[in-house]
Amino acid sequence: MSALLLMAPALLLLLAVFVWPLLDYAWLSLQAQSVFTGLQPEPVGLANWQRLLADGRFWQDAGQTLRFAVVSVGLELVLGLGFALLLHQRWRGRGVVRTLTLLPWALPTTVMALGWRWIFNDPNGPINALLQSLGLASVPFLASPQLAWQTTVLADVWKTTPFVALLLLAGLQMIPADLYEAFALEGGSPWQSLWRVTLPLLRPYIFIVLLFRLAQALGVFDLVVVLTGGGPASSTESLAVYAYLNAMRFLDFGYSATVMLGMFVLLLISSAGLLLLQRRVQVRA
Amino acid sequence: MSGTHRQRMALGRSALVALLLLWSLGPMLWQLYTSLRSADALLLGSAGLGGGWTLANYTDVLSGDPPFWRYMLNSTVVGALSTLFTLALAIPCAYALSRRGGLLRLLVGGGLLAAAVFPYVLLFLALLEVARQLGLANNLLALSLPYAGLSLPLAVLLLQAAFAELPVELEENALLEGFSLLQRLRWILLPLMGPAVASTGLLVFLFSWNEFPIALTWLSRSELLTLAPAMARIAGSSVFTVPYGAFAAATVLGSLPLLALLLLFQRQIVAGLTQGAIKG
Amino acid sequence: MTTPTTISTTTAAAPASLRLENLGRRIGDRAILDGVNLAVAPGECLALLGPSGCGKSTVLRLIAGLDAPDAGRILLDGDDITERPPARRQVAMVFQSYALYPHLSVARNLSLGMEVRGVPRGERDREVATVLQLLQLAEMGQRRPAELSGGQRQRVALARALLRRPRVFLLDEPMSNLDAQLREELRPQLRAILCGGSAPVVYVTHDQQEAMGIADRIAVLQDGRVQQCGTPQELYQAPANLIVAGFIGRPQINLLPQPDGTVLGLRPEHLVAVTEGGLPVRVLSREWHGASQQLLVASPQGELRWTCAGNLSIGAELRLGWAREHEHRFVQTTGQRC
Repeated sequence: MSALLLMAPALLLLLAVFVWPLLDYAWLSLQAQSVFTGLQPEPVGLANWQRLLADGRFWQDAGQTLRFAVVSVGLELVLGLGFALLLHQRWRGRGVVRTLTLLPWALPTTVMALGWRWIFNDPNGPINALLQSLGLASVPFLASPQLAWQTTVLADVWKTTPFVALLLLAGLQMIPADLYEAFALEGGSPWQSLWRVTLPLLRPYIFIVLLFRLAQALGVFDLVVVLTGGGPASSTESLAVYAYLNAMRFLDFGYSATVMLGMFVLLLISSAGLLLLQRRVQVRA
Repeated sequence: MSGTHRQRMALGRSALVALLLLWSLGPMLWQLYTSLRSADALLLGSAGLGGGWTLANYTDVLSGDPPFWRYMLNSTVVGALSTLFTLALAIPCAYALSRRGGLLRLLVGGGLLAAAVFPYVLLFLALLEVARQLGLANNLLALSLPYAGLSLPLAVLLLQAAFAELPVELEENALLEGFSLLQRLRWILLPLMGPAVASTGLLVFLFSWNEFPIALTWLSRSELLTLAPAMARIAGSSVFTVPYGAFAAATVLGSLPLLALLLLFQRQIVAGLTQGAIKG
Repeated sequence: MTTPTTISTTTAAAPASLRLENLGRRIGDRAILDGVNLAVAPGECLALLGPSGCGKSTVLRLIAGLDAPDAGRILLDGDDITERPPARRQVAMVFQSYALYPHLSVARNLSLGMEVRGVPRGERDREVATVLQLLQLAEMGQRRPAELSGGQRQRVALARALLRRPRVFLLDEPMSNLDAQLREELRPQLRAILCGGSAPVVYVTHDQQEAMGIADRIAVLQDGRVQQCGTPQELYQAPANLIVAGFIGRPQINLLPQPDGTVLGLRPEHLVAVTEGGLPVRVLSREWHGASQQLLVASPQGELRWTCAGNLSIGAELRLGWAREHEHRFVQTTGQRC
């Protein structure tokens, strides 16, 4: 009983911050609440949901968000593993380098997004300046849909790879060194030991990283808002940005809540898919 | 033979480390460089490194209206408050959770893990509505409440792992010596959890320092803005005419406190996150 | 190293006696304790002896209030304290790990409890100084536990327990973290400290030598029950059943099943070489221990352990006999002494 008492304040705040909003959205998604209703809620049944299913922009954003999440998390995983392997080896100055590599993760996304905008500026940013000094044409990184998307992925990978590396490093530290020694004595090469020893034993950590990072990447917001504003032509718009625009720019709260819930459903599906994948891999192993 | 092989390995590794540092620090160093260059020097590209150095970007940013340090002060206030709230709520909860087995622990633990993974950006609209109804908008103290709530899942998970690692006899002996719960926490448990509490507090501070969507929607008065929405506001003003030198000065200023914290508490952060990963 | 009179000033003023009545504790459907009855007189030291997992630590935790029984009562001076919270039982416990607060100095480890209980500063300092002196830790007050040797840590834990002025003194395997030589050295010291007070002492150990060396009485615990409780001599001379017989005495007693449904127990040290009668045996292996030899011999009734003062070589053949009064007989089916 006293245990519940000690947990009560924290649990109440958690309910208020996590559970209440979802209940609120469930109710709001069945209402029309926009400028057309004088910002007052009016029950409209499933109209918002029908609109969602037929909303090309929602599905386009859903596809873009999913593609963004899969590609950037995939890159972060590969790169993060490389970082972790490098930072796991023994060499002088390792501690300082570990801290310095964490820096991109610690900085506010909005701050660095602004930085990237300058770096990829056309024509005055350093990259384009470099290209021009080499006699090449400058590249409109943030003005072309394809390039803007790639720039967003790059900025996200830069920012979150340190976090992935840190978690994988934690996993590497749990693998006893004598496993590698035994494997080497049996004649395994370092490359083989990566595939036969490291990766299988790292699997639970990889799974946690994937779960955490995929959920976060599907909710990408800060980066898009500051770096591209969702443009050009909403080619980098994520679902969270679309929901935000619906509420704050179009003042359509009922539909914004529906978009949020739609995003929540997609999130649940992806998490479930990931869990199933993990199960399958486990069974096969 | 093996000597040269080892040397070559070490050389390769040094090259990789250099690449890693370039990747991690390059963009930030470029910001630092930009922030110290005059507008002309920037627009003329790499024309001569001899001239064009200036502190004008910093003085511009710091004498703006409101001055940039105002945003940093706001962020610091919100960060400190939400760290305080989070720890005050998370410590008792984590303690209770670590001392309980069975279904309750499984349920609460699972819920916390799900909440820790949840992309909180989904919640901003409902939270905004709460803020409007309760009149909490444009109030830094009130803003730290949702921050505390959003930080709680990870904080409780990290702290309960740290509680679970303390030898249980220490607390049992204190119990036999007549310590109350508060006395056990104050004298025995928390002093032994210093690193975990520090790293948890630091993560909460980082989160609230960096948080964007809720600050964006809760704060509208410019003298109350925290760093993240202030940055976005600068960015949104105009893409092409904005003086990038001032931008860069702002990013450098906004990063400095975090750089300091990270360097001060590097060991605790790494240990805290590592522990969380292992337990999670 | 100390005298009982100085110790008694730091233990409880009023003599207490501890009674456990029919204590039961279950975890799931497994009975950890199943009707444990014990009584400890004021100033008496009772050793709880048993293999690991026999429930002896659970008994301590129930007395301390760190665990609650499913059945039975705990009485201290006739007061039922079964439901009383641990802080109000005035019980002191020395944990196997010593449970010293690692972040505090030795002096702080000793005084913090008194501080929390509201003892004034001057009195705290006096008491800490006295007990440090008493346990030969006078120079150690400012050290951290990590800077102490194992034996010093144990003494700090003892000192802290003494300062609690306990009505019951509990010790959970206090020697198990020390090496064998230190254990033997410390035994008399520990006995002097424990026997000096007027509080009942319950001492948990799995080492029968330690139990015999320290305790006034020993309770052998197995399968959640007290198998026998008595003085070390009683347990050695008249073990109540096969479990106790096997637990008390080293090397272990020889148990020979007899055709009449009994088991004959013969201690290795009670066997003697005889010229006629007895059992014909052949030496299989030997361990030389200096004053004596530990032999394993083959007999028609099976292999026997024999502690022998002479010098025999492997393969030697001879006859072994024993005095009638050294025979222990048990019923084969129940294991009880007959």
